[in-house]
Amino acid sequence: MRNLIYLSVVFPLIGFLVNGLLGRKFKSEKVVGIIGSGAVGAAFLVVLAAFVETLRMPEEGRALIVTLFQWVKAGNLDVSIAYQIDQLSLVMGLVVTGVGFLIHIYSIGYMHGDKGFWRFFTYLNLFIFAMMNLVLADNFLLMFLGWEGVGLCSYLLIGFWYDRKFEKSTTSDAAKKAFVVNRIGDFGFLIGMFLIYLNFGSLNFTTVFAKAGVGNIPESTFTLIALCLFIGAAGKSAQIPLFVWLPDAMAGPTPVSALIHAATMVTAGVYLVARCSIIYASAPMALTVVAVIGLATAFFAATVGLVQTDIKKVLAYSTVSQLGYMFLAMGMGAFSAGIFHVVTHAFFKALLFLGAGSVIHGMHDEQDIRKYGNLKKYMPKTAKTFLIAAIAISGIPPFAGFFSKDEILWEAFSVGGFGFWIFGVITALFTAFYMFRLYFLTFEGKERFDSHHVHPHESPAVMTIPLMILAFLSIVGGFLGMPAIFVGEEGNLFGRWLAPIFKSAETKIFTGAEHSHLMEILLMAISVAGAALAIYFAKFVYLHKPEIAEKVSAKLKPIYTTLLNKYYVDEIYDAVVVNPIRLVSESFLWKITDVKLIDGLLNKSAALVDYLSGYIRKIQTGAVQFYAIIMMTGILAALFWIIKSL
Amino acid sequence: MNTNYFFESLNFLRPEVVITVFLAVVLSFDLAFPKLKKVLPYLTALGIIISSGYAVQDFLSMQQPQPISSASKLPLLAFDALAVFFKIIILASSLFLVIFSEKSSEIKSTVERLGEYYSLILGMILGMLILVAATDFLLIYLAIELMSLSSYVLAGFLKTSTKSTEASLKYVIYGSVASGIMLFGISLAYGMTQTTNLFVAANSLTMNPGNPILLVFVSLMILSGIGYKISSVPFHFWTPDVYEGAPIPITAYLSVASKAAGFAVLIRFVKTVYPPVDGLMMISAYNINWKQILIYLSIMTMTLGNLSALWQDNLKRMLAYSSIAHAGVVLAAMATMNDEGITAILIYFVIYLLMNFGAFFIVMLIRNEINSEHIDDYNGLGYKMPFYGVMLSIFLVSLTGLPPTAGFIGKLYVFLALVNSKMIFLALIALLNSVISLYYYIRVMKHLYLMGSNDQAETLKVSFSNILVALILAIPVILFGIYFGPVADFAKNSAVMLGVR
Repeated sequence: MRNLIYLSVVFPLIGFLVNGLLGRKFKSEKVVGIIGSGAVGAAFLVVLAAFVETLRMPEEGRALIVTLFQWVKAGNLDVSIAYQIDQLSLVMGLVVTGVGFLIHIYSIGYMHGDKGFWRFFTYLNLFIFAMMNLVLADNFLLMFLGWEGVGLCSYLLIGFWYDRKFEKSTTSDAAKKAFVVNRIGDFGFLIGMFLIYLNFGSLNFTTVFAKAGVGNIPESTFTLIALCLFIGAAGKSAQIPLFVWLPDAMAGPTPVSALIHAATMVTAGVYLVARCSIIYASAPMALTVVAVIGLATAFFAATVGLVQTDIKKVLAYSTVSQLGYMFLAMGMGAFSAGIFHVVTHAFFKALLFLGAGSVIHGMHDEQDIRKYGNLKKYMPKTAKTFLIAAIAISGIPPFAGFFSKDEILWEAFSVGGFGFWIFGVITALFTAFYMFRLYFLTFEGKERFDSHHVHPHESPAVMTIPLMILAFLSIVGGFLGMPAIFVGEEGNLFGRWLAPIFKSAETKIFTGAEHSHLMEILLMAISVAGAALAIYFAKFVYLHKPEIAEKVSAKLKPIYTTLLNKYYVDEIYDAVVVNPIRLVSESFLWKITDVKLIDGLLNKSAALVDYLSGYIRKIQTGAVQFYAIIMMTGILAALFWIIKSL
Repeated sequence: MNTNYFFESLNFLRPEVVITVFLAVVLSFDLAFPKLKKVLPYLTALGIIISSGYAVQDFLSMQQPQPISSASKLPLLAFDALAVFFKIIILASSLFLVIFSEKSSEIKSTVERLGEYYSLILGMILGMLILVAATDFLLIYLAIELMSLSSYVLAGFLKTSTKSTEASLKYVIYGSVASGIMLFGISLAYGMTQTTNLFVAANSLTMNPGNPILLVFVSLMILSGIGYKISSVPFHFWTPDVYEGAPIPITAYLSVASKAAGFAVLIRFVKTVYPPVDGLMMISAYNINWKQILIYLSIMTMTLGNLSALWQDNLKRMLAYSSIAHAGVVLAAMATMNDEGITAILIYFVIYLLMNFGAFFIVMLIRNEINSEHIDDYNGLGYKMPFYGVMLSIFLVSLTGLPPTAGFIGKLYVFLALVNSKMIFLALIALLNSVISLYYYIRVMKHLYLMGSNDQAETLKVSFSNILVALILAIPVILFGIYFGPVADFAKNSAVMLGVR
């Protein structure tokens, strides 16, 4: 099955083509849904089979490259459509197709009755196709193809309901914003890719990383490449300063938010850094930048998440914050911990989004958590699964989030020091607080909606079953990566599995710092206790004494409004970047450069061509004698010219 | 007398033999069963398919280039990858020609003369198959005449259309002048070298180049005969008139197959008779600077083709000029005079075959519906005939050379060859020409989609077979734009010629 790994790319492509070309003609939603989900399910089975097979093999022989065909061959550049099986790509592939499959199933229920039902599944399949290219690619160019492909799908799906309003504008504007911000990141990726080709003479991972490991390339080059790639990663994974698109991306249908903007696409940046671990390991400065940006993003987004009132907005900022954690791990050189968090986060964040979708579905598109309350009564399955996800993300043992987050925090402490750790812990407390604020406001307490008009109902089984599966994964997923102090070095299955991938990078940055086990357990206890306290506090405030929240927000009004308005980042960007660019574009680039210079030049040259062509076509008189004369003249002219030059 | 060479060489001539046999079969079938005209296309197609089967087999089993000799043991024909490659191209386009003819309302209107039609086609195919392998001046001349004579009649096959008749007459006159000049050149060449064989002539010229002016004169005269086949400026004048007047299937065929044959003989002639000059062999006769000549021809051909195409209102005429421009691009690749350039030519021809036939096919299908090729009659057709609109757009985009279509890959390899040969200037000219060509190709799409009414009240139902043929052409045009490895390999393996290092 390992040799057939490309099928996991081909199946979604087939699904995309079938639904895209014929979807409109299928009368029944079922057919479209089954084709769409079936394609992804089949892809999942392929990856799973390859994974099982790989698991049985000895550690040394696990990497495999399956080349489909040579794609571009020009000069030294030799790029193939080739897919790489190794521990990292298999993990990512499993998450993408596995969670993707569940979300496809869920979408059959969620999108029921939508006029664009077939279009939705077409885009989703295209997304899985692109995402699989991204994670399985064995070279930067193919990865970039997938990178751009997921960007396109993200754009298409954010603006899926192009005729609906979103906040102050339309969903199309949100889609455009996502696309434009991502372009900035893509630009960084491209430059990074060019630099890699320039310095390593290849775009293949194997070649590049082998040469990077040898190390006759100056550190400054590594730093430059790493930073450029990180700009790309920051764009795709919504890190400061390019995070602004992700909250707006919530304009898309909720399954999209779950699949693309929580579980898979946004982790592409983390994957990129992990894939290039050796490059980052050779550039300590870049690693620090990654860590600081990651931590700052995690903290910043968590504070914003504290006060948001839109259920999806809270989850969006929570995603940004969790992505920050992953980059923090990367920056600490704890690559496998970061990827572990990618996996567990995919489980519980997809679950949270799908749960939110279920609520929105049952509440007739109401998204304001202030208008929910006591929904536990009406949608018990959704409430239970949502609670599980909330516990998981808050880092309460033994749920999945605890293990991954704790590993990151421990690495932050042992590599980065107390400063990194304390901000990480505070962020974790905030996370626990706003997640349970969300839970209590939505599912417990008094009903705050108009029960005459709104009749909440539980979602159909096609939606709740994926929720339960994800809930199960959110509970047990963490046991894959138990901390070494509990189970010994061999017990951390996840870390051991990924170890060969990051071995060379980790030896390069090994600091030799050792801390006692006691310290680790102490820190662990602090963060768990803190999270538990934050949950209790949320319960106290939002269930027992709601007036406290109001009092606090009234007292700290400046801070509260700043947070509510997300630190005015959008406004600042508008004032500092967007509007000046618009102004310059309009008054100079458009009215002068474009209209006068470019158009002028173009029109003049077009006029010249026009003039010449009017003249030249007159040669074609239609008189055949004349043709013969010209032919003879031509020969004679050539003869004359050649003889002259003899 | 030893006739072994005859039977031995038959082995190398299986495609030609099959075509000859089917030529006889079609002729006699038509005479014997005048009522069964409908069978003729299938019979012809069968012949072409069998013949191409042999050609493909030849290609796959190709080892070393083999001479196919006459009694005098001088190679008359070459059995090499280059020849077989062009045979495959020609046979593939012939197959499309038969399919197109079946679909064309123009050809259907002449049903009582189908026998002639298909025998002429087979005759033309035979001429071209011989031409691409010929290594003897006389054989080259005979092959050119065989294909030309058939095509003169085919161009004027619609006897009732004045345009078609005019086209045919002009073609005859122009063709006779060109081949007359060529024949004169060949006879002078014989006078200089006492041989008609290309290899012997090359040898003899190395030993004793003779009068350099005469050699230049002779070379140019022979070139004019070939130049007329590939419609390179200034030998192109017949092209627009003939392409416009001839039935569309024939136009498409002339623009692909007969050009391919012309280029095959040009490559062989230039590479065999004028081997590259080493420092040691520096003899004044070899001062003929083919590179310069080809560069100028190429620039003139593509510029004139594109500039003239700009304002054509008749789609056929526009495509005629566009085909002149494409010949210019191929000439540019030829001007590199190296293997990379020849590989680029071969790639270009594979792709050009698909996209040019595709464009002509849709123009023909649209003509079947609206009986016109005028661009103003195309207004709003993109909505009335959505399938044709989309297909035509694909082919035109590919002809422009925009990614992700195969046309881009074709141009890419030509440009690469040029850049690698340090011919940046020519590459720039070719690039500018592509920009110009964008205008007239896109103009068609403007008429299809932006002009005229777009009421979708009635969309044309397209028959399944038409969809199938269009897709057979369109899918590779897209596919080869992404996955072009096999085409490139096919071409690379084909750039092998008898007697050329």
